[in-house]
Amino acid sequence: MDREILRRLEKLNQLQLTEEQKDSFLAFYAKQTEEMAILDSVDTESVERMVHVMPIYTVVREDKVIKKYSREDLQKGAPETTEGYWQVPRLVE
Amino acid sequence: MATKYETVIGLEVHIELATESKIFCSCSAKFGGEQNDHVCPACCGMPGMLPVVNKHVVDLGMTAGMMLNCHINRVTTFDKKSYYYPDLPCSYQTTQWFAPVAVNGTVRINTSKGEKDIRIKQIHMEEDAGKLVHDDWTNTTFVDFNRTSVPLIEIVSQPDLSSAEEVVAYLERLRSLLRFAKVSECRMEQGSMRCDVNLSVRPEGSKVLGVRTEMKNMNSISAIERAIEYETARHIDAIENGTEELVQETRRWDDIKGKSFAMRNKETAGDYRYFPDPNVMPVCIDDEWYDGIKATLPEFPEVKREKYINELGLGEYDADLLTESRALCDVFEAAYAESNLAKESANWIISNCMKVLNRKQMTPDMLNIDGKSLGKLIKLVADGKVGNANARKILDEMFENDIDPEKYATENGFIVSNDTGRIQDVINAVVAADQKSVADFKGGKEKALMALFGKCMKELKGNCDPAVLREMLLKTIQ
Repeated sequence: MDREILRRLEKLNQLQLTEEQKDSFLAFYAKQTEEMAILDSVDTESVERMVHVMPIYTVVREDKVIKKYSREDLQKGAPETTEGYWQVPRLVE
Repeated sequence: MATKYETVIGLEVHIELATESKIFCSCSAKFGGEQNDHVCPACCGMPGMLPVVNKHVVDLGMTAGMMLNCHINRVTTFDKKSYYYPDLPCSYQTTQWFAPVAVNGTVRINTSKGEKDIRIKQIHMEEDAGKLVHDDWTNTTFVDFNRTSVPLIEIVSQPDLSSAEEVVAYLERLRSLLRFAKVSECRMEQGSMRCDVNLSVRPEGSKVLGVRTEMKNMNSISAIERAIEYETARHIDAIENGTEELVQETRRWDDIKGKSFAMRNKETAGDYRYFPDPNVMPVCIDDEWYDGIKATLPEFPEVKREKYINELGLGEYDADLLTESRALCDVFEAAYAESNLAKESANWIISNCMKVLNRKQMTPDMLNIDGKSLGKLIKLVADGKVGNANARKILDEMFENDIDPEKYATENGFIVSNDTGRIQDVINAVVAADQKSVADFKGGKEKALMALFGKCMKELKGNCDPAVLREMLLKTIQ
């Protein structure tokens, strides 16, 4: 982890970090990376990938349409709506 | 000597699955509808809402995998792909990255250069994004979540394609196989099949890949063909003449201008920061589920085609037309099983059923009449019990209601009458009323007989064996 990667993460996450926060993150990630390097050194070639910490699988539902909510109910908390659309700040110039 | 180049193409094809409801909630997945009418707190990304996987999405994901000779991952998982854009309100797309439902398949294509196997890297299940409308007047964006969470599969090929011709053959093959297996309607014009083209160019024989661009926004196979030709020429021009610097980026194809335009720098997988979705537990496909799907797989279209030609004696043209659509094959096979008349069954589907479908502006895939009933109708015609014109009326009714053709024919007086007394009465009346046609026929005008024949048939409402009527009519005149 270096300043360039941090700058890229900052942009991807749409964050603005102070210099102090950046130093603190860099120190934190340096420690994390060291620990990950230990894990990386273990040979896991013959180990099956663990997909979940618990031995449980998802339930599935039948392909059936159920309509429970009205648009009006769902948009009650919306700051702005127009003709049934949610209205948000313009995204492209 | 001028350098020869080869094009290296890999495709990402998105297919909208033929389900009733969305992938993680019970909202309708139907195309269209009033804006934000097919929505609930889950697909609107309200806090605390949890996804529940639609079983049929996994069924269709597996089916697609099996049709494309893939290995099915018996434990398949969902992951979050970071994505900041309001057409997906959770700020991530739920997709599959670490253990997609199907991997390592092949699709065989046929081109002018012969057969070629295209390797499939993976097929993953994921949710679609919603629709954004950018409004100039208010300078805001309107969001419609009806499409959000509609189930998709993405079929990712290896970069094994090397020309527009191969890409077209590959897409047509995918469409045929997936329609046959009822995975999707695969209609590009409606967006239920979308294709992103990853393309690069390198000197022939080179092992090093060139700079890759990804092209989006192509909604027809012919547009894809044009886009590939344009992009290949652009890459070669940039390499040879230095007209521009090639960069890894996503480009938008403008079919009207016949050009591609840069959209954004291409993200790499790392940028999406995939991580296992803690809200969806792994999906475990047990033997019973796997075997159940395997048992429902249809014969491949080309296997049916050979069978129709070699075993049932159909011509190549008829066999090609029928195997365009699984629905046509299903109705044909049921009609043949009932009537034991292969050619007649094919003719009825290709001519009469297609006419009704055209009139109703329906596609062949939408043919949903009962094949067994069609077989009964074909038999009634072949046995001379119902005339052709009345049989077509019965077929029209079969498109509207579930009817038994023989019962319907009896109730509506469509069964051909053997009452020669009644036929003779009608002939006598028609001949008496149209002496001119009788004289014309006797004077050598063959067509005049057809006029008399038509009038008799009309009077008998078509319920008469044409051969019997013709013979009795001739006898009467002469």
